[in-house]
Amino acid sequence: MAGDNGNEELRIGVYVCHCGSNIAGVIDPKVVAEYASTLPGVVHATDTLYACADSGQSLIKEDIKKYNLNRVVVAACSVKMHEPTFRAVVAEAGLNPFLMEMANIREQCTWAHGHDPEGALEKAKDLTAAAVAKASFLRPLDMIKVPITKRAMVIGGGVAGINAALDLGDQGIETILVEKQPTIGGVMAQLNKTFPTMDCSI
Amino acid sequence: MVDAARHPKVDVRTYTEVERVEGFVGNFKVQLREKSRYVIADRCNGCGECAKVCPIEVPNYFDMNLAPRKAIDVPMSQSVPLVYSIDMDACIHCYKCVDACGKLEAIDFSMEDKLVWEDVGSIVVATGYSHFDPSVMPEYGYGRYPNVVTAIEMERLNNSAGPTAGNLIRPSDGANPKRLAIINCVGSRDKRFNPWCSNFCCMYAIKNAILLKQAYPDMDITVYYIDIRTPSKGYEEFYDRARKMDIHFTQGRPSLITEDPETRNLFVHSEDVALGRVTEREYDMVMLNQAAIPQPDADEMSSVLNISQSPGGWFMEYHPKLRPIDTPTDGIFLAGACQGIKDIPASVAQGSAAAARAGRVLHAKEWEIEPVVAVVWEDRCISAKGKKCGLCAKACPYGAIEYEVGKAAHVVTAKCHGCGGCVAECPHNAITQLHFTDAQILAQIHALLAEKPEEKILAFRCNWCSYPGADLAGTSHFEYSANERGLRVMCAARMDADFIYEAFRLGAGAVLYSGCHPQDCHYITGQRVGARRAERLLKAFEKMGMTPGRFRVEWISAAEGDKYARVINEMQATLDSIPKEKLLEEIERLRPQMEKRARRMRETPQVEKALEYSRELETAMTGKEV
Repeated sequence: MAGDNGNEELRIGVYVCHCGSNIAGVIDPKVVAEYASTLPGVVHATDTLYACADSGQSLIKEDIKKYNLNRVVVAACSVKMHEPTFRAVVAEAGLNPFLMEMANIREQCTWAHGHDPEGALEKAKDLTAAAVAKASFLRPLDMIKVPITKRAMVIGGGVAGINAALDLGDQGIETILVEKQPTIGGVMAQLNKTFPTMDCSI
Repeated sequence: MVDAARHPKVDVRTYTEVERVEGFVGNFKVQLREKSRYVIADRCNGCGECAKVCPIEVPNYFDMNLAPRKAIDVPMSQSVPLVYSIDMDACIHCYKCVDACGKLEAIDFSMEDKLVWEDVGSIVVATGYSHFDPSVMPEYGYGRYPNVVTAIEMERLNNSAGPTAGNLIRPSDGANPKRLAIINCVGSRDKRFNPWCSNFCCMYAIKNAILLKQAYPDMDITVYYIDIRTPSKGYEEFYDRARKMDIHFTQGRPSLITEDPETRNLFVHSEDVALGRVTEREYDMVMLNQAAIPQPDADEMSSVLNISQSPGGWFMEYHPKLRPIDTPTDGIFLAGACQGIKDIPASVAQGSAAAARAGRVLHAKEWEIEPVVAVVWEDRCISAKGKKCGLCAKACPYGAIEYEVGKAAHVVTAKCHGCGGCVAECPHNAITQLHFTDAQILAQIHALLAEKPEEKILAFRCNWCSYPGADLAGTSHFEYSANERGLRVMCAARMDADFIYEAFRLGAGAVLYSGCHPQDCHYITGQRVGARRAERLLKAFEKMGMTPGRFRVEWISAAEGDKYARVINEMQATLDSIPKEKLLEEIERLRPQMEKRARRMRETPQVEKALEYSRELETAMTGKEV
């Protein structure tokens, strides 16, 4: 079975995270890893105590070299949590960061199905298999680089906005401070002294 | 305030509103409406001669309408900038101000609102909060009893720059009050209005009590509270100081205020927890410490900026603990109470934090964005063959697709935000989305439905709302059926009808189609593209005779973890209510129609390969030949 990008043989590595007891307290990550090792294209699958920790990251990087992996699946937490982490890990090992796929078996599995460990295990296996399936068709991609306009806008001229604008200005960034009222100051300007030091508000 | 106006790098634009925001991190275009002041800012020197001669008085918002300002005026004497403006609704066009201004010639009655575009690389949103209006609570008589005032009115009455020059008087007769009640949590921690704690009001009550006690040592002051919350540095010590100053603190939430119509004195009826009984005490004046609420235009701002809102209407941060300053939109950051109620020290800290986060972007030479953009297979586009189509261009919220009959549609990568709407809308499967290709998604669908598909609830969720909504359900440990199988795409717009047909063809028990609420969509109108398709699917499935509830469409925000769990549990209940043989019979009956409808999908490049791989995967997963 060839990958999406030509005739390259698929060599997928799967890492199933315990996340301490967050995942392993409900399901056995070893079982998920053993299951994953039977899936097409998977050449190596293992469980790991904390995939995001230094030791977990090193393991993935070493394995990429050791098993000549060209796809990595991390079954752990939400992509919102650690997708950037694991993309960076595979990139450090010389793999394109878009050849990494995550399965969310924490937020969307063990944390939501503590009442049903068997159901959670079946789900974790399926989510991992789906990530392996997607990984099989991943292609290397390059980030799009965009230029930066070195200018900022702060919307709202109350105490938070004024302070943000001053700090940006002090960083040498030209900043537009927009306020809908005729004066800046916000609620703070209306106050008579402020706690706990009782100094003047303006 | 003055520092901001003097700072060479800070350009203060007051009386200005944000109309539109376009673009992306590093490259935002913001349209501002500079409202007409009818006074030329560069010429006005703030002398105030115009206001002296103006015959018209209007209430001053800055003094909570307790005092008048002139039709041409500044909100307060320390206004920044010190530039006058005319309230045209009140002005009678007597032009006395023009004469008073004389040679400065700063007044210009022909001035109009100006629309300007500004290019910026990053935006900090610091739009603040508003005050709850206690007149909707009949029990406290605000608006009926003149001597019941709000906290912010008290601020102006007790302020040396305020309308009474700091001489606290009661509105009914101008007398100095001798007995004052301060009532906390007015409209806060009250399920009828706002469930939240407004954060700073306990300290605020204590501050006002101390200030008044210092100014009027004989004043009898009682603070009515549910709990006193003083968790920050120096706050408990501040509370302690108040108690030593003979300020009374009564635990109890007043149920009623009545008024003596002659003296206009007030009677506060409240439980006193310490005494264990209900009390009725007489006061000259009552201050209601009202709740902080989101700005009235928060909904509008959230759709202009394309950022989402938490329950209650506060702007939502990317992550409540790990990324509290960022929004889900790269390059837009939050500061102050617009993100959630906070006091001055916290607002100042968050202002600095937002400047640092924005600086991280602005000091970079370039910024990297994910290449999840759309790409056209030119040989498949029927427009190239001279046929009229253009559905892709119609689905694009950013005008990123150039379409002309005779040429293949072309995606302008720099403008594409990667919602995938065009990909799903193209009837000829001539467009794909990088990292979310049909082949990739189909391979996932097959894996998720490999075993006992009739028991599964396949849930399509968008990246920005429903996926984090499902995350929140987990983070909050809201339990839901483990038969759910989730699949993430960038937007509801990407949820191709073919995916849904394929899921049902494979025998899925139920399918959820979920994305952002329309106003929260990360891709302006992407959700609407998805919603229209979902409506068509609902109708088609109804016509086919599918049991209602097997295909469900729900808009679930990132803050609605409880809703996500509830919807999945309801879908499970729907499945449980259908006898298994009946469900299997229905799946078999509908399969040919699903297959027919999804047939075009099979022509898409890589899809055959994905299906071939899926057969292999399913065999491995189930141990059965497919």
